[in-house]
Amino acid sequence: MPRVPLVRFRRYALLMSVVLVCLLLLTIQTRGGGMGRAADVVSILTTPVQALLTKAHRGALALWAGYREWKSAWSENLVLRAENERLRVGSLQVREAQTENARLRRLLALRERLPLSTLAGEVIGRESGGWARALTVNRGLGDGITTQTPVIVPDGLVGRVVRVRPGASVVQLVNDPASTVGAVVHRTRAAGLVEGEPGGAIRFKFMARDGVGIIPGDLIVTSGQGQVFPKGLPVGRVVRVEDKGSALFHFAVLAPVADFARVEEVLLLTGETPVDLVALFRKDG
Amino acid sequence: MRLSLLLMTLGGTVAQTSVVQTLSVGGATPDLPFVVTVFLALRRGPEAGCVAGFLAGLLQDVTGGGLVGVQALTKAVAGFALGLAGGRLRVGSPLVQVPGLVLLTVGEGLLRFGLLQLFHYPAGLSALMADVILPQALYNGILGAACLVAVGLAEAARARMTWR
Repeated sequence: MPRVPLVRFRRYALLMSVVLVCLLLLTIQTRGGGMGRAADVVSILTTPVQALLTKAHRGALALWAGYREWKSAWSENLVLRAENERLRVGSLQVREAQTENARLRRLLALRERLPLSTLAGEVIGRESGGWARALTVNRGLGDGITTQTPVIVPDGLVGRVVRVRPGASVVQLVNDPASTVGAVVHRTRAAGLVEGEPGGAIRFKFMARDGVGIIPGDLIVTSGQGQVFPKGLPVGRVVRVEDKGSALFHFAVLAPVADFARVEEVLLLTGETPVDLVALFRKDG
Repeated sequence: MRLSLLLMTLGGTVAQTSVVQTLSVGGATPDLPFVVTVFLALRRGPEAGCVAGFLAGLLQDVTGGGLVGVQALTKAVAGFALGLAGGRLRVGSPLVQVPGLVLLTVGEGLLRFGLLQLFHYPAGLSALMADVILPQALYNGILGAACLVAVGLAEAARARMTWR
C-alpha cells in the first residue's frame, strides 16, 4: 500500500476511534439501566484522574493564593521600608536639631554670663593630623577678628586664632604640638605651661618645687599673665602626675575640658577683662 | 513529543480548573484546553490536534461533572479539522489565527450544543450564544493573541541567543 494513503487512513482511523469512544461513553451514560456496570467502569477510570486533578487544582489554587499573598506582602514590605527609612531620617534630623539646639543654648548662656564682648562662630573646617591641630571658623577680618583671639566653648578653652582671612579664621587648638598656654592649678595656684603633644594629648609643665600639691582631678585654668587669654578659662583636668625625679620640670597629663573632635560652635573673645572667669564655667555649662 | 503533548494538555486542563477561574471577566472565562488544542493542531497536525482535543475534552468532562464524552468529541473533531485545515490553508498570519480562534470556538460551541440536543439539553441556543459561547470566543481570541505575542518574543529571544 502506498505511504500517503496509509498515513491518511491512520489519520481518519484515529478520528473514527475517538468519535466512537466518545459516542460509546455517551451511550453508556444515557441509556437508563445501561448506566450500571459501564458507568462504574467509567467511574473507576475517571475517579482517580478526577481526584488527582482536584488535588492539582487545590494545589494550584494554594500556589496562586500564596503567590498573591507573597506579592502583596512584598509590595507592602517595600512601602513600609521606604516609610521606615523616611521616619529614620526624620528622627535623625530631629535629634540633630535637638542636639544643636542644646549646644547653642549652652553657648548663648555662657555668652550672656561673660563680662566681655564675644562673637559666635561656626566650625567650617578641621585639621587634625599629627603636625597641626586646628579648626577653621567662619569669622574673619570682616568681623574684626585678629590673631591671638582666644576661642572657647561652654566647657572651656579651645585655642587661639593664629591666622585671619577675609571670611574665616584658623584656630590653633590647645593640643596642637606648637601650642603653649600659660596656666595655673586652680586649687593651689601653682603656675606652669599647658603644651600640646604630637599624639593629641595635653600636659601641664610645672617646676618641681611647685608640684607637690598637684593631684589627679585638679582643674588647670589659664593664668591670664600672657596678655593673650583672660584669667580663669578652664583648660583641662589632671589625669596623672609624672614624677621626673630630680629634673627641674615635672609634667601632669591632662584631660582637655573641651572635646575638640566634636566642637561645632565656638565663642571668639574679642574683648578683654581682668576678672577671673573660672566661676562662670559651671559644670553643666 | 508525546510526553510534551500530554503535559501541555494536562497543564492546560489543570490551569483551566484553577488559575483561569481568577481571570474571570464579567463571568466569562477562556477555554484554555481548547486554546492548547488549537495550538497543537496548528503546530503538529491533525493527529496531535485530535488526541490533544480528546484528552483535554475528556478531562474537562470528567472534572466538569457533565456528560463524559461531549467535550472530548467536539474538541477532538475541532482539533482534527483545524490540523487538516492548517496544512492546506494559509493560517500563518496572526491576523488569520486570532479571528480563526474566535470562529473556531464558536464552531466548537455550536457542535457541542448540537450534540447535547441529542440528550435533551434544556438551554436555548440564543441565551447560550450570548452568555457563554461568544464571550468565551472573544476571550479565547484575546488569550490567543497574547500567546502569539509571547511565542513570537520567545522565538526572537532564542534567535538572538543563537546568533551570539
